[in-house]
Amino acid sequence: MTLLRCIARRLRHLFRRRQSEAEMLEEMRFHLEQRAADFAAEGLPEEEARYAAQKKFGNVGSLQERARETWGWGWLERAFKDFRLALRQLTGNPGFTLLAILTLGLGIGANTAMFSTIDLVLFKPLPYPDGDRLLRIYRATSQNRDGHFSPADFLDFQRAKAGYGDVAAYTLVNASLSEAGRPAEFALADRINANLFSLLGVRPQLGRAFRPEEEAPGRDRVVILSQRVWRNRYDKQPDIIGRTIRIDGEQHKVVGVMPETFNDWRHLGGVDFFRPLAFTLEQAADRRGAILRVLVRRAPARSQAEVTGFVADLGARQAADFPEVNAETSWRAAPLQSTVTARNAWPMFLMMLALSGLVLLIACSNLANLLLARTMARAREFAVRAALGASRTQLLRPLVAESLLLALAGGVCAVFLANWFLDYMSMRSIGDNGEAIVLQLGWAVFGWAFAASLGTAVAFGLAPALFALRLDLNHTLKSGGRGTTGGRGHQRFRQVLIVGQFAVAMTLLAAAGVEVRGLHELNNRRSGWESEKLVTGTILLPAAQYSDAEKIAAFHRLALERLAALPGVASASISSFTPFFSWTDTRKFVVESRDRPPRGHEPAAVVNGVSPGYFDAYGTRVLAGRAFTERDTAAASKVYIISELTARALFGSENPIGRRLAQADGDNPLWGEIVGVVRDVEPAVSDVNPVTSQVYQPMAQQPRRQNEIAVRTTGLAPSTLIDRIRATMAELDPDLPVRMLQTADVTIDRANYQTAIGRDIFTGMALLGLGLASLGIYGIIARTMAQRTGEFAIRLALGATLGNITRLVLTSGVKLALVGSILGLFGAIGTCRLLASLNPGLHLDSPLVLVGTTLLLVAVALVACWIPARRAGKIDAMQVLRAE
Amino acid sequence: MAAKNELFPGTLDMLVLRVLSRGELHGWGITNKLEQLSKSALQVDEGSLYPALYRMEEKGWIEAEWKMTENSRRAKYYTLTRAGRKQLETEHASWDRMSAIIALVMHSA
Repeated sequence: MTLLRCIARRLRHLFRRRQSEAEMLEEMRFHLEQRAADFAAEGLPEEEARYAAQKKFGNVGSLQERARETWGWGWLERAFKDFRLALRQLTGNPGFTLLAILTLGLGIGANTAMFSTIDLVLFKPLPYPDGDRLLRIYRATSQNRDGHFSPADFLDFQRAKAGYGDVAAYTLVNASLSEAGRPAEFALADRINANLFSLLGVRPQLGRAFRPEEEAPGRDRVVILSQRVWRNRYDKQPDIIGRTIRIDGEQHKVVGVMPETFNDWRHLGGVDFFRPLAFTLEQAADRRGAILRVLVRRAPARSQAEVTGFVADLGARQAADFPEVNAETSWRAAPLQSTVTARNAWPMFLMMLALSGLVLLIACSNLANLLLARTMARAREFAVRAALGASRTQLLRPLVAESLLLALAGGVCAVFLANWFLDYMSMRSIGDNGEAIVLQLGWAVFGWAFAASLGTAVAFGLAPALFALRLDLNHTLKSGGRGTTGGRGHQRFRQVLIVGQFAVAMTLLAAAGVEVRGLHELNNRRSGWESEKLVTGTILLPAAQYSDAEKIAAFHRLALERLAALPGVASASISSFTPFFSWTDTRKFVVESRDRPPRGHEPAAVVNGVSPGYFDAYGTRVLAGRAFTERDTAAASKVYIISELTARALFGSENPIGRRLAQADGDNPLWGEIVGVVRDVEPAVSDVNPVTSQVYQPMAQQPRRQNEIAVRTTGLAPSTLIDRIRATMAELDPDLPVRMLQTADVTIDRANYQTAIGRDIFTGMALLGLGLASLGIYGIIARTMAQRTGEFAIRLALGATLGNITRLVLTSGVKLALVGSILGLFGAIGTCRLLASLNPGLHLDSPLVLVGTTLLLVAVALVACWIPARRAGKIDAMQVLRAE
Repeated sequence: MAAKNELFPGTLDMLVLRVLSRGELHGWGITNKLEQLSKSALQVDEGSLYPALYRMEEKGWIEAEWKMTENSRRAKYYTLTRAGRKQLETEHASWDRMSAIIALVMHSA
């Protein structure tokens, strides 16, 4: 018989059960009747003949049972029965069931949330075909391991790459997107090589990609929109192709729209639109402005090691050929997939996964405790059933079924929790233009949740029950079956669980504690400036209208005048950077009348161009000399103001005022006089190195089109000024977009959202851990109370006070918590150290946190023990003793 | 009950196959035939024939069909399949081999 027919027959047995049964019965009855007829023929009376026939046939019921087994569905029926029994058991004890499911769901849920985040952030491939052949090329400098390329270096690379694969560059620039009758939008533009899309292996959803001839100034007025901008700003109008829109004040023709899948949040996710990368001859020869990000699609014939080696060699050659800009640089290649997350993402994620594992551990030990207690309570039932001949398997099957049901429910809980967490991540990360981290649950996550749930339920639910059962069956019957025996071994086991829970909770709480403190410190770090009564925002002057330094300077003068004239404004400033974000303009300097260091090895500093009023507006103290004034124009002699650290680094104890500096650019330095020294400022974001040397220049002598405006009020709530500032800027120029116009405090808060997410994750896990641990200790104290009622009654009868009893119970619980917390201190200290080393921008070392955490844990344990301990007061000694 | 004439475990299948190799029969018929052929020496719970029949049906050694008996009663008739025939041959051969070996040992001096 073929397999197919075998299956068909079995299915028939399953679905036409009744018929199969009837046929079996009929067949047996036929047999019995025939046999009875035989006996009757031999002369037996009818009644006796039937009886003899049955005797000869055997037990019909058991034979039927054996026959059914051969149909192959016995196991299914038994499983069905087991599950029905398990379900009845679980619903019969809703308190226990709910607690077990929640414990499992929360423990697995925390884990699943972390796992899915890691999976989606680190492992999910970028939406590019053959993405493993994509490499990002960095030009590492002494300040920045992930530095960008200058146009000239990139063009050299492009010429030399022969045979190694395709190369394309892009640069992200801010741009204004404006049309008549709509407010200008501050957009992120990506200027790309025409071959970037084909290199990535994507094509526009509508229209076409760029053509090579569009990579020329004058012919580059074409634009491809991201799906997000097309949807949000143009309502997905299909006739957008061929229309013209205004970018930076100039008309551009829309030639394409990218698909939704293209803007993966991890790579190019914030980009609003694309434009061709076009260099003038002068720009193409620039070797200083490191603006280009470079991608390579490796040729299939070349290995990654070959390409990496080639890139490194070429970088070394460039360093030798152009030492004045490249002396301290080297080139390196890294798989694109690995570059899309922050450098500390891996260890941070692993740490979060580990901590969520700790939450799970607490949940597991709670579960073990719960199920152990439950099994013990049913020990008598099991013992009786075993004595009546139930086999071990028969005893265990309903237990297994219960575990499976719990696991299923817990897994569902976990998936909901994980999903909620991913939504929370998206919500927290929404940026100004609607870009956000998008994480969607995948099948892998479902798999993980249920596998972990199952593993947990079996390992921590079933195994201890099994263990207990084996130990206790005989004992239970002998000891009169009071059910709640739980010998010394169990007691010890549960105590170890509680101590372990508190140790783990200590670690979790300490991690959360330092994160909370670290973020608080970061958000309130106002080192060298003051944030009260301060509104800041970013503006972008469209290149078309503000084509030269004079026009920019004129606008700055006018804008400052208008802003300062607003009622309630104490001071206003325009600058290249704010003190609270890192300055990205790094330059090298030489000092007059000093020996010049070797080319390319001059001291570096970050530079900020600032308007008069900057130091007033931000409250940065001028320590020596003067601030900039209106007289420091482009035409006036060059001047610098330096920070304390720069002064110390360049001049030691000498007085820097009056000395002259120049940027180490060409052979003829443009000297500028140092007119002042100001305090160091420290950024209030975490992703930067500690304070670097800072140098200020007058905005007029260092004009830029993207500026930070700052307005300090005289005492007014700063938020009331926001609308008036926006209106003032729109009046000055309707093409001019303003972004993040809000109080400096809000801006800093939002900028640190990733750290805040980290803090929330740690806090959430710590609270979960704490909650579960206190539940655990509550449970064990409550059980102790129940078990020792008789003993307490005797004590009371012998003259102990209620206070004595309560104290007895409390001490036994708190002792466990204290031992656990102290053991946990080791883990806590290690975790804090690790966190601090992973986040050098955050100040995370704090012994205070550890002390506070210990106190909190003991306090929580005290409360958790006190609730059941109170019941000691309700013990009626006489009644209890009489019942004994 | 006379334990001495109980079947060796596993031999019932072979006997049933053997009986059926002579032509289709219903359960009652098989019982009769066994009794006849063994000259009533075998002691079997008659009912235990049925689980064995169902098992062999599942294995595909025999096939069943409802038919009318000569007395116009409905009865389930079993026939040997090709697989059943092969099974019978193998079992028969190994039985012969085994009993020869056992006899050899038991009758040795």
